[in-house]
Amino acid sequence: MVLEVDHLTKDFGSCRVVDDVSFGVSEGEIVALLGPNGAGKSTTIHMLLGLIDPTSGTIRMFGKSLQHHREEIFGKINMSSPYAGFPSRLTVLENLLVYARLYGVQNRQAKIHALLGLLGIDELEKRPMLQLSFGEIARVRLCKAFLNDPKLLLLDEALGGLDPYAATLAKEALMQLQRQHGTAILYTSHNMVDVEELCSRVVFLRRGRVIATGGPTEVTRAILREDRKRPALSEAFIRASRSEPHEVQ
Amino acid sequence: MRFNRIAAVVERHLYDARHNLERVTDTLYWPVMDIVVWGFLTVFLAQRGNLRPGLISFLLGAAVLWGMFRAFQRDLAVSFLTEVWSHNVMGLLTTPLTIREYLSGLLIINLLKAIVGTAAATIVAFVFYSYDFFPYLLALLPFILVLIIFALAVGILVTGLIVRYTTKIQSFTWSITGLVMPFSCVFYPLTALPRPLRPLALALPTTQAFEGLRQVMAGGGLSLARLGSGLALDCAYLLAAVAIFDWLFRAARARGLLVKME
Repeated sequence: MVLEVDHLTKDFGSCRVVDDVSFGVSEGEIVALLGPNGAGKSTTIHMLLGLIDPTSGTIRMFGKSLQHHREEIFGKINMSSPYAGFPSRLTVLENLLVYARLYGVQNRQAKIHALLGLLGIDELEKRPMLQLSFGEIARVRLCKAFLNDPKLLLLDEALGGLDPYAATLAKEALMQLQRQHGTAILYTSHNMVDVEELCSRVVFLRRGRVIATGGPTEVTRAILREDRKRPALSEAFIRASRSEPHEVQ
Repeated sequence: MRFNRIAAVVERHLYDARHNLERVTDTLYWPVMDIVVWGFLTVFLAQRGNLRPGLISFLLGAAVLWGMFRAFQRDLAVSFLTEVWSHNVMGLLTTPLTIREYLSGLLIINLLKAIVGTAAATIVAFVFYSYDFFPYLLALLPFILVLIIFALAVGILVTGLIVRYTTKIQSFTWSITGLVMPFSCVFYPLTALPRPLRPLALALPTTQAFEGLRQVMAGGGLSLARLGSGLALDCAYLLAAVAIFDWLFRAARARGLLVKME
């Protein structure tokens, strides 16, 4: 297992936002972490990134405790999140050069040029970040996320704001990374079409608890309580959002 | 500690200096303006015959070194604030970069800035007020070190407070040295303070440094007692600042503040 999450719980004061969540991600697997707003997805991702301490439970990556092997683990993982920005007056290239150095990437310029080309933004190289559109910044974030050829990639709404062409390029880049390096990807999104297309497994959260897990079709069946032959995650998502948690467990 | 990661922090701030005029302003403008104002004051006092010999050296030397201390502390915290303002904290904290490496990078970049700012102030003092700092430089270097270590400790403390209490308390970055200044005996000797305040002043490395500075400039040579006290106090403050920073950082992480820092 690349990632093992065991009985993860987070309380903010008296409010429990993540409640006894357990799941795992294997090498090369793309897993979606889904749920309505406030389900605990981002808090879970932030705990996996070491930005929030869990109240209880454990996180292991590559068989090692995140708490005790942070530096080693963070060399092998990367992330993209809409909460993460870049210094806005630095150019795209300067920002990526700094991150490439932080990850100890060899031949930084060549690596960055290859990634900018892969995501179709090579012409933005010399532009300051403040001149970029939201979708262009999202693509720069993905370039940053691919810099160290991560073994585990945590993507929080990473394709949000991309036009269809850019989203296609980004998805192709993700698949290429997964094929070439066996990268495991944990992916949160509200675009169910993307999830059905990319993810082999889904962990569905509702009010901090896992209410369904399995392949997209299995999760659809579990939430809708109907025998479906194809995934219908949008429908399942709406049903799960409207229901009380115990009704879909 | 990995050199490449420390170098990345330095590289990031060098790019920032290239694009941000404010950084140049902080580094050069304020140290030079301080010296211009203090220089005019010393000229005025000298013309009225109110200035005993050597006092110009005390005042201008103190102005240069206090400016360096204030800039070093402020720039350390501002360097972190720039990451907060640009929402880059999350990106940095999810790389293998450690807090020690990050602070080491900031120490290097701010040392460079302090050298540039202090050199500019010294040149202005020399050219416009005929104040020659260089004969004292060697003897003052240990006290400059005392000031830099204390500025580092204060900068780490302020950065920790920003991590824990976010930008609500960012004004500390510019104001905290103002709190320390009256008790640091920058422009007046320790004996000028009311007696009850002297123990407080003696507990500050800045007081030891500026008392030592005055002794050097008065021709009394290097005071090993002042230097030893200054460095010992520095060690205590630095260790305390690092411990408090770690505590504040853990508290911020437990409360989920690292992802909402703005």
